[in-house]
Formats: sequence, structure tokens, C-alpha cells
Amino acid sequence: MLTAGLVMIVAIAAAIFAATTRNIVHAIFALAISLGAIALAFLILKSPFVAAMEVLIYIGGISVAMVFAVMLSSVGKSAPSEGMTRRLGAGFAAIAFFAGVAAVLIGADLDGLPVPETSAEAWSVQQIGRDLLDRFNVVFELLSVVLLLAILGAVTIASRNDGHDEASSGNAGAGLGARMPDEMRPGDSAASVNPASPASAAPSASDASRSEEARA
Amino acid sequence: MMLTGWLLFSLALFSIGLYAVLARRNLIAILIGIELMLNGASVNFLAFNAYLSKDPAVGQIAVLFVIGLAAAEAAIALSIILAVYRSRNAIDVAGLDELKG
Amino acid sequence: MNPDTLALASVVAPLVGFFLGLVVFRKHHAVAMGVVLMSGAVSLVSTALLLFGGPAEPHVVGARWFTIGDVAIDFGLLLDGRTRIMGAVVALITMCIQVYSLGYMKHDPGRGRFFAFLALFEWAMLTFVFAANLLQTFIFWELVGLASFFLIGFWYQKPSAVAAAKKAFLMTRIGDVGLFVGLIFLFQSTGTLDIQSIGAIFDPEGLPPAIAPDRIEWIAALLFIGVIGKSAQFPLHTWLPDAMEGPTPVSALLHSATMVAAGVFLVARFHGLFLDAPTTAQIMLAVATFTALLASTMAMVAKDMKRVLAFSSISQLGFMLIGLAAGSLFAGFFHLTTHAFFKALLFLCAGAYIHHYGTNDMIAMGRAGARSMRITTIGLVVGGAALAGIPPLAGFFSKEQILGALHGPGATVFKVAALAAAFLTAYYSFRMIFLLTRPNDASAAEPDEPAYAQHAGDSGHGSDDHGDAEPWVFRFPILLLVVGSVGAGFLGDRIGALLGIEHIHHPTFVEMAPAIAVALAGVVLAWLEFGRSGARQAGFVSRMPALRTFFERRWYIDEIYERVFVRAAVAIAKLCYGTERDGFDAGADMVADGTARVGATVARGHNGRLQWYVGGAIVVTAALAFYLGRLS
Repeated sequence: MLTAGLVMIVAIAAAIFAATTRNIVHAIFALAISLGAIALAFLILKSPFVAAMEVLIYIGGISVAMVFAVMLSSVGKSAPSEGMTRRLGAGFAAIAFFAGVAAVLIGADLDGLPVPETSAEAWSVQQIGRDLLDRFNVVFELLSVVLLLAILGAVTIASRNDGHDEASSGNAGAGLGARMPDEMRPGDSAASVNPASPASAAPSASDASRSEEARA
Repeated sequence: MMLTGWLLFSLALFSIGLYAVLARRNLIAILIGIELMLNGASVNFLAFNAYLSKDPAVGQIAVLFVIGLAAAEAAIALSIILAVYRSRNAIDVAGLDELKG
Repeated sequence: MNPDTLALASVVAPLVGFFLGLVVFRKHHAVAMGVVLMSGAVSLVSTALLLFGGPAEPHVVGARWFTIGDVAIDFGLLLDGRTRIMGAVVALITMCIQVYSLGYMKHDPGRGRFFAFLALFEWAMLTFVFAANLLQTFIFWELVGLASFFLIGFWYQKPSAVAAAKKAFLMTRIGDVGLFVGLIFLFQSTGTLDIQSIGAIFDPEGLPPAIAPDRIEWIAALLFIGVIGKSAQFPLHTWLPDAMEGPTPVSALLHSATMVAAGVFLVARFHGLFLDAPTTAQIMLAVATFTALLASTMAMVAKDMKRVLAFSSISQLGFMLIGLAAGSLFAGFFHLTTHAFFKALLFLCAGAYIHHYGTNDMIAMGRAGARSMRITTIGLVVGGAALAGIPPLAGFFSKEQILGALHGPGATVFKVAALAAAFLTAYYSFRMIFLLTRPNDASAAEPDEPAYAQHAGDSGHGSDDHGDAEPWVFRFPILLLVVGSVGAGFLGDRIGALLGIEHIHHPTFVEMAPAIAVALAGVVLAWLEFGRSGARQAGFVSRMPALRTFFERRWYIDEIYERVFVRAAVAIAKLCYGTERDGFDAGADMVADGTARVGATVARGHNGRLQWYVGGAIVVTAALAFYLGRLS
């Protein structure tokens, strides 16, 4: 009971921090903490296998990928700040949503419902594996196809490279050194290309080499 | 009490994620919000699974699927963010309105 | 030769001529004219052979067209007395006018088209005359109207000609509606469209037993409405004077043997039916008598030669209908035949004068020396005398038959009116002759339009053969028609025999006396006022200026139509236009503008911002969830 409360408080606090902080790297770390707390919550909810997957995929995969993305694009601190109106509007929407659903939840009085008896075997990882490859086989296979397509798509999108990208990537390299203004607008980038800027701080080796090829 | 508590917890996570999606201008922050919402939904699944399910494997499998889909979504979203950043040197969603009517 | 072949040849030849002239050789005027003339000659020879050597019994050449249920529709040519006479007259007059047009339209840039339309007119009229079937009758009745529309509006650059063509088309169309409804009723009552079968129902003495007398009256009245339109009877007569805007040969054709004759021929065709409808016949008699008088008064004061002739046509058509309505098929048909000759003759003479002097005004032409055109003047005198009913010319015999047909109780008033109209006819005919041939210095008459020294023809296209005012292509048809106008009156017995009338009443001299007397009285009055040396050349109507103006303005009938019908139609059209523009159109605009405005408003929400959309989705989802939660 107490553990559960602690876990919830940690998870929610970390989540609020992740959702509000301006520093995007801090936000990702806060998200990781929140996800860890949620994994603990899964454990409390008698699902150790799911908790393990949560840690492996979310913290180990997605969060790290986000950190990579931030590092590659170097926008961690350059994100523009949000206006007060925008934050108030979104906060109002979120709170209203919370209040509305919470009212329904509390009004529903779910705690009075009887907890069905279940065997220990039903909770076992074996049972999950059996169901996954038996009852939910089709969904499982579909998910695998989705993942495959996602990988292909991600590779395609991230590696697309045409003339415009060429100029932009060169510009991106320049941007690191030049610390572009926060209120940068699309379309201005082409105008502010500075060919004299060194490409040494290019975000990746490949980008740098491509930029150099372009210059040569 | 406990089931309602877990549900309120999941709802809070979801609402925080919603706030992030609506308020933030940074694409990665929005992605963080989406992950929070998905986790809120996962907690919701497992809470019902723990307290009311006769067949607890089903809820866990559902959450596993959610995690898998979240991974795919994150991969795509991050690659899109990178592409957007490369093409316009910023990841501010306020500028991404070329498709407006 | 086989009558079937002849009948087919007479009808098909003009069609071929029309097609070749209009489609193939339109730009090669000489070829087109030659083809049309040849087709006219074929028709003339065929119809003449049919007239003199045709089958004794009524005979149908034709083929099954289509069958609806039990009703078989044939497309055929009916050869009996009426159609054989009329066909020959049509072909002869058309031939004369075609030859005449060779000279008259010599320099018109559209002469190939003109001849093609003449052939179309001939084809339509001949097929109408020979029609063996009501449907065919109606189709070719309309085609006759169409051809006259083309020809009246032949000079389509002239706005007045176009307006006249439209007027002719629309006015006759009013009548055509009546005719069409009448034909439908007739078909419904008799169950057949075959003209011979219908004749067999109505021609015997007494009312047909199968059809209610009321219904016969209705059918006859509706058919008569069509006749009113086509034959220019009051109150639909106003198109005919305006139709003078066409080339003069067209007027000649229109007034003598084709367009207006179609209406009279229809009455002659269904004479049995009209006789079975006594009330309608009485109405017809009244309308025709009134029209004859009305048009005569208009002709008395007109200065335009073609208009005088047009009014005289209306008047003479009234005479024909008087004869038919009074019960004498022979009288009406006889007058139709003789009138075709002398009216065509008069128009050809008028055309020759107009062609030479470049004006339509009789006074101006007379002063310019119209009498020097010898052949034309002979034609004018003969034709005018025939029109006036001077014995022994054609018009006298036929008009005498009509006056003779008016007897019995109740006919006296009509007889008096018809005699008055005959008197006026003689008066205005000789007024025309004297104005043209006996100009004098004491004349008080003022021409409206001077004659041109260098004549331009009424076409305005001009002619450059100033040397010969009367080329042989003018002389030949005029002389031929002079012979016809003199001789046709003596063919009464032959015509009667062909019509199947056993006994023709040959009036005694005493019976003829009133007709001769009124004709001579008209001539004498015309002589005193216009002909004698030193005549003031002002008619007796001029003493009453109000009456004269009344006649000159054609009884204000055109003005009344203008005020009542045209303005009403324009008002209705404006109302429709206003409703359309301010009602439907504006409503549609409002809907469209509203849609566009709503779209513009909604489009502002499509600002391309992801989060805006997400927020919208959340709001909608929440609202939906709330709604569903309320339901459960």
C-alpha cells in the first residue's frame, strides 16, 4: 500500500517535470525515471514480465533513442518557449479532462466489485507465452510486420537525401557553431546559409563527409 | 479503493501526457507526452487485469502489444523529427503548418 | 404512265431538288437553280399527267409507316379529285414563280439557297396536299410553315424581314396548336388517321351515328383555329401583310398556291366534317365574312402595292371560306384555284414593277411611268379585273359561285356583307390599276416613298441589267398566268367533275346580276375617283379622315395585340426573369455564399497545427464519451 503510493507519487512527479521542463534532455531523463516508477507499478500489479519489458523497451530503447535524437539534432536547449496562453489553455484542457473522467471513475464505485479467483498458473509467464503464440497469434504476427515496416520506414525517412537536404544538413552543421536564434522559421534557413562556417561540428560523420563532398 | 487509486494514477499520467502534447512546441517533448499517455493506458489495463480479470494473461498481452506499438511509433516519430530538423533546422511544431486549409 | 410512279415523282423531285440545291450545290448558284428548275418541271409534268389522266377512283400510293397497337399509320399519297387539282395548281404556280425568280433573284448572293427553299416549299405543299394520313397532314402542314418562315426571312440581314418571319411563324403556330388538338380529338373519335376512312365517316348525308354532335363541333372548331392561323383569317391575320418583307416571288407563292391555301385546302379536305358541325360552320361563315370586309377596307387605303395585294389575299381567302362554310365545296375550291392564278399573276406584276422602280409605292410607280412596261401592265389589268370579278375572267365565275352558295334562311346578312366586300374588292383593284396606269397632274395623292431613277429592286442588292425592265423570264410566267386567269373560269365543269359533284348550278343572268352590278359599281367609283383625267386620286374614305386613319392603321389590331398580348407576354417574361434572378438565382447564390462562408470559417480552424487538431480530437472524444455515459 505504502509502496504503491510512493511509486505513484514518484511516477507522477517525474511525469509532470518531464512535461513541463524546457530542457529537453532533462525532460527525457525525467521520463525515464517516470517509466521506471511505472515499471515498479507493473510489478505491484502482479505483472513482472510486463515490468521487465517496460524497462527493456521504454527505458532501454525509446528513451535512449530520444537522447540520441536530441544529441544528433542538437535541439535539446534550443526549443522555443511556450506562451502563457498556450500553457494555460492546454493545462485547462488536461485538468478538465482529468476532472471529468475522475468524476466518472469515482462515481462508478469499482472497488465494490468482487475480485475473481485465479490460479497462480494463470499469472505465469508460460501462460503469457502460450497465449501469445496461440490465441493472439495473428495479432502477434501483425505486430511483427508493423515493427518491420516501422524499421524500414524509419530508415527510409531518416536517410532520405536530396539536394534540399544537402543544403540543410550543411546548414545544420553550421547551426551548431552559430547558435541559431530561437525564433527560427522555415524558409529562413536557406537564406541564412553561411558557407564559410566550418563543418567540423557536423552532427554525424556521414553528414560531415557528405557536406565535404558537396563542397569539393 | 485500490482499483480506483490505480485508475486515477493512470488517468493522471494520461492527463499529464495530454498537457504535454497540447502545450509543448518541441516535437520531442510532444513525443514524451505521447509516451506518457500510452503508459497511462497500460497502467489502466494492468489495474483492471489485476483486480477484475479471470484471465490475467490477456491484459498483460495487451500491454505488451502497446509497448511494441509504442516502440514502432517512437522509431518512426524520431526519424521524422530528424528529417524535419534536417530540412528546416528546427523542430518547432508552430512552423509545421504548410498543410493548413 | 403508272399513276403511282407519277405521284411519287411529283413529290420526290422537289425533295431531291431541295437537297441537292441546299446541301450539294449551295455555292454553285447556277447548278442549284438548274436542279431546282428541273425538279419543278418534273413535278409539273407529273401532276399535270395525273390531273388529266389520273385514276378515276380515289387511289392511295403508299406504304405502312408504323403500327401502334391496332392503329396502322401509312405514309402515302392520296389521289382523288381534290388532290389532283390542287397538286397541279401548286406545281404550275411554283414553276412559274421559279422561272420568274431566275430574273428576280439574278444578282442575289443567296440565290442558290433561295431556290432550294422554293423546292422545299413545293415539296412540303405537294406532300401536304397529297397526304393520305392525318399525321402526314400535320407534319407537312408544319413544314409548309417552316418553309415560309425561311423564305419570308430570306434576307436575314434585314431586321424587319426577320421580325416578319418570326411573326408569321408564331401567329400560325397559335393556330397549329388548335389544329393539333383538333386532330387528336378527331383521331380519338374516329379511331383512324386515314383521310379516306374519315371521309367515309363524315361525307355521307346526315350526322355520323357513332360520334356525338357536340364532339364534331369541337373538332371542327379546333381545326378551324388552325385554318385561321394558316389562312390569315381574323383575328390571326396580322402576319400576312408583314410577310411582304420577303422577296416578291415568295409573296406570290405564299399567297396563291401554298401557305395560305393550305388552310383553305384543309377545310376542303374535311368538308364533310365541317358540314356536320353546323354551329362551327356558322361561326366560320361569320369570321370569314368579317375578314373579307375587314381586309378590303384596309386594302382601300394602302399605298404599298404588295400590301394591297396582301390585304386582298386575306379578303379572298375569306371568300373561299365563305363558300366552303356556306356548304359549297365546289365554290370554295373553285375560287381557291382561280385565285391562285390571278393572285400569283398580280404578285409577279408587282414584283416586276418593284424590281424596276425600286419602290413599293403605287403612286410613285405610276408617276414614274409604270404603264410603259407593256406585258406587266397587261398582266396587272387582267389580274386586277379577275380579282375584281369582272366577267368573263376567272375571278368572276368563282366569286359568283360563292355568292350563289349563300342562300337560305339567315344567309341574307352574310350575302349583303359579301356583296359589300365584293364591291370593295372591285374598287380597290381598280384603284390599284388606275394609280399605276393613269397618273395625272391634278392628283392629290402623295407617294410615301419615291421611285428611284436607277432602280435597286426591293432587295436592295441592286441589279445591273438596267436595259430590259421585262426580261423573258418575267414575261413568260406573266403571260402564262394571264392565260390562266382568263381561262380558269371556264374550267368550272371540269373541276366540279373532278371533285365528284354531279350537278353544278349554272347561274342565270338574273342571278348573276347583283355580282356584276357590285363589281361594275366598284369599277365606276374607282374610275371617278382615280381613273378619269383630272381625278383627285383620293378615295371616298379620305373625306372621313378618322375612318381613313382607322383603315390605314389596320383597325389598330396590331396595336391592340401589341398592347395586350405582347406587353402581357413581356410582363410575364419580366416577372419570370425577376423571380429567377431575385428568387431562385439569389437563393442559390445565398446557399453558395453561405457554404463558402462556412467553409472559410471552418478553414480558419485548419491552421495546420498538430496540437490544435489533437485538442479538437480530445474535445470531440470527451463530448462523445460524456454523451454515451449519459445514455448508459
